[in-house]
Amino acid sequence: MTIDTPPITAATQRRGTSTPATRVIGILTISMTIWLGVFGLVLSPADRDQGDAVRIMYVHVPSVWLAYLAFIVTALASGVHLFGRRHSLQADRVAGASAEIGVVFMAVTLVTGMLWGRITWGVYWQWDARLTTTALLFISYVGYLAVRGLEGTREQRARRSAIVGLFAVLEVPLVHWSVKLWRSLHQEATVLGTDLDVSLDGLMLFSLFVGVVAFTLLFVWLLLHRSRMLTMLDLSAESGLESALAQRRAEGGASA
Amino acid sequence: MVVLTLAVVAGGVVITQALSTAVDYYCNVDEVGVRSGCDTGRRLRIQGTVGEGSVVVTTGATLFDIEFNGSSLQVEYAGEPGGIFKECLPVVVHGVFNEPSGMFLGDRVEVKHSEDYVAVNDDRLQEAEADSAACETSA
Amino acid sequence: MTNAGFILGSYALTFGSIVIFAWRTVKVGKRLSADLSDEDKPWL
Repeated sequence: MTIDTPPITAATQRRGTSTPATRVIGILTISMTIWLGVFGLVLSPADRDQGDAVRIMYVHVPSVWLAYLAFIVTALASGVHLFGRRHSLQADRVAGASAEIGVVFMAVTLVTGMLWGRITWGVYWQWDARLTTTALLFISYVGYLAVRGLEGTREQRARRSAIVGLFAVLEVPLVHWSVKLWRSLHQEATVLGTDLDVSLDGLMLFSLFVGVVAFTLLFVWLLLHRSRMLTMLDLSAESGLESALAQRRAEGGASA
Repeated sequence: MVVLTLAVVAGGVVITQALSTAVDYYCNVDEVGVRSGCDTGRRLRIQGTVGEGSVVVTTGATLFDIEFNGSSLQVEYAGEPGGIFKECLPVVVHGVFNEPSGMFLGDRVEVKHSEDYVAVNDDRLQEAEADSAACETSA
Repeated sequence: MTNAGFILGSYALTFGSIVIFAWRTVKVGKRLSADLSDEDKPWL
């Protein structure tokens, strides 16, 4: 099958989704990530009670931060699509790209959390408020992506998923404050909980800060590339359909 | 459609699991037998701090006390607790009471890491030891 | 380092996932880019 494609230069092919801006962000991300490795694994101290296990925090917390950020961006973009005058499909693609990134980092968060839990708590998993709500958040966004994959027009996809994206984001504060909300279950939680609002040694706090900066840059880089990729995916599906139709007409509509 | 169905099913499973295991929920040591839902006749999860100098490791079992808010409880755990288990750290013990002896028979011990992180270095280590000698960090 | 397997494993898993995800995104982007004209790429 030959598809009628516009003339392509080698330069166009090489460009892809990258621009000078993404290259700069990419280099910054890589250098911050190297620093994260140095601070997280080498320079930061071991914890009095947890020992070296505390080092997992420097990838675990930035991952969940990135996932939260991604889900909030999905909700904002969903809002722009749903309530904006133009019902922008580009906003919908940003929402979809952001949710895909969020799901990846939510999975990373769950697995690194399980490894951390195995060392410190002694168990991989516990049906406790924080862990349960985190698992639900992950599943919700897998569901969001499944809704995007349902059959329908691009407008239907955008509308359905925008509604899901606006509801699912409500789970983010629920997860974050689950430790406090379920105090009745946890009783006087003087010591329990893995709140972000922790008291940390100076160098530990700085390592965590490096991680959060690195992952924020990483999110921007991924979102730019991924939303551009989704835009092209939509357009190539469209042009593929058009050229297939044109070809069929040219052939006299012989084939069904 | 398949993925969506799976996601909905998985969500249901997670909620059911969480609700069913929450049946034996956290009680602090001082609430055992006092607070409703913390009756000694049922399966419980009890939270307390491992008492200083109370850990005795015998063959196949570990004996220790857990304390909370001035109350103390003897625990017998079959095996060696995992995680970073040690004296003066907060733990949650899952198990049942052995009615005649009043001993709490734990079948699972979880060490709760606190939200305080303290670096290990020479100065701090001494401070930390002084801390744990008094066991004043929690409860 | 105590529990080195768990700790290094969590770092490897995190950075490994990032690299695979980023690489796939860029690769698919390049493949799609080859089939589309520059007018369809407003970021250029």
